[in-house]
Amino acid sequence: MNDLNIQETERTPEIKLSVSDGVFSIRGESFPEDVSAFYGQVIESIDLLKENIPDRFQVIIELIYTNSSSIKALYRIFEGFESIRQGGGNLDILWYFQEDDDIMEELGEDFHDRFPDLKINVKPKN
Amino acid sequence: MADQSFDLYDREKQLLAEGKVVLGTNNPKGVLNYSKRLYKDFSRVVRENEDLTRHSDRQERRLVKLNKNLKIQTKELDSRKTELEELSGQLGKYLPPQIHEALFRGDYDTKVATQRKKLTVFFSDIKNFTQISESLQPEALTDYLNEYFSEMTKIAVRHGGTIDKYIGDAMMVFFGDPESKGERDDARSCVLMAIEMHEKLQQLQHNWRKRGFENPFEVRMGINTGYCNVGNFGSEQRLTYTIIGGEVNVAQRLEANAPVGGILMSYETFAHVQDLVEAEQLKAMRMKGIGRDIKVFSVKARKNNGVVKLIEYESAKGVSISIDLNSINRKDRSGLARQLKMGLKKIEEE
Repeated sequence: MNDLNIQETERTPEIKLSVSDGVFSIRGESFPEDVSAFYGQVIESIDLLKENIPDRFQVIIELIYTNSSSIKALYRIFEGFESIRQGGGNLDILWYFQEDDDIMEELGEDFHDRFPDLKINVKPKN
Repeated sequence: MADQSFDLYDREKQLLAEGKVVLGTNNPKGVLNYSKRLYKDFSRVVRENEDLTRHSDRQERRLVKLNKNLKIQTKELDSRKTELEELSGQLGKYLPPQIHEALFRGDYDTKVATQRKKLTVFFSDIKNFTQISESLQPEALTDYLNEYFSEMTKIAVRHGGTIDKYIGDAMMVFFGDPESKGERDDARSCVLMAIEMHEKLQQLQHNWRKRGFENPFEVRMGINTGYCNVGNFGSEQRLTYTIIGGEVNVAQRLEANAPVGGILMSYETFAHVQDLVEAEQLKAMRMKGIGRDIKVFSVKARKNNGVVKLIEYESAKGVSISIDLNSINRKDRSGLARQLKMGLKKIEEE
């Protein structure tokens, strides 16, 4: 019902949400021209999950580059995950970074510290 | 697909709007509640701001590093480019300019391959070069020979000729490959080149005499138009871009039979330039390996087509005047006329 299937572009990542499979993923680079317009639907879809919390939910973040505005949007998305967790949802979050990409690794760690209730596993992509 | 109504800062904006209302009511309870919410949200915004600033600093660090690397790489590339340009310039001196340019444009095929093509072939040779070389210091000989080849090469290039090679004191040029203006214009360019070379040589001889070169180079020239094999000869390891064939030999024989300071051409060339130059037909020649008599023409001068464009005067006493009015503009003409008048006055006064 809230499923998403946003194709990757030069400036925006691929975003997929399958409620029935309990999977959400973001892959690619993120520097949209209008961050609110691009991430609005994603934030709203995640917020809607609070009303129908899945038993298990797998989140995969695999960003190569993200600008500061996109990070602000990611906070909102992660706040949505936090609400799902607080509502009893079982989330498993994998934050992948490219080997040698210390910026995305450290950003993953920042999210890990910022959302201590979420299980965020920061690891290099093999 | 994009959500135009969503605002990423909706919560912050909403809180600010509420604050405006609450602070206007003077309701202490309302203000207290609002302060608590404001404190909570402000704490979140400060945390976000700290994280974002940290992220921004990391990005900036990476950019600075990338920029440094880019500068180093650009410097290295510039230096490599300069090296390659210098190398290209050096290599270019060993190749016909057209082939050099085509190679660096990337549209020249370096396969061993030839084709038959109608070309106009030019040969020139310095008379008695061996004797002259014995009478000059090697350094002086090198200087004069290089000056001669440099000037002749400039003329050949300007007329679109492909300089095949320098063979000792001889020069071989052809027209029609790799670029051709059509066989008629190729032949015309070649003959005009030969005439200009002849004129330039007269200037050089004058200058050389002044510099102490008592019996300066005198040159024979021969031109023939005909089918030749042109292209890359040799092996995959070592190639020579050149021409071969009986018609090449005809051009060389014509040169060998030309009078000193003369230009001989075959009928095949003459047919293309008869409206352009005055020529005298000589006795036909039989050449070894050529199955026909070669009709021979001696180039005398450019045709003026009713308009006097060339003033020439020569005397045995080392006086040589050659003025091509076609190549002098109006301003230079009046300057030249003034100088000639002064010269005339001086001659008459002596």
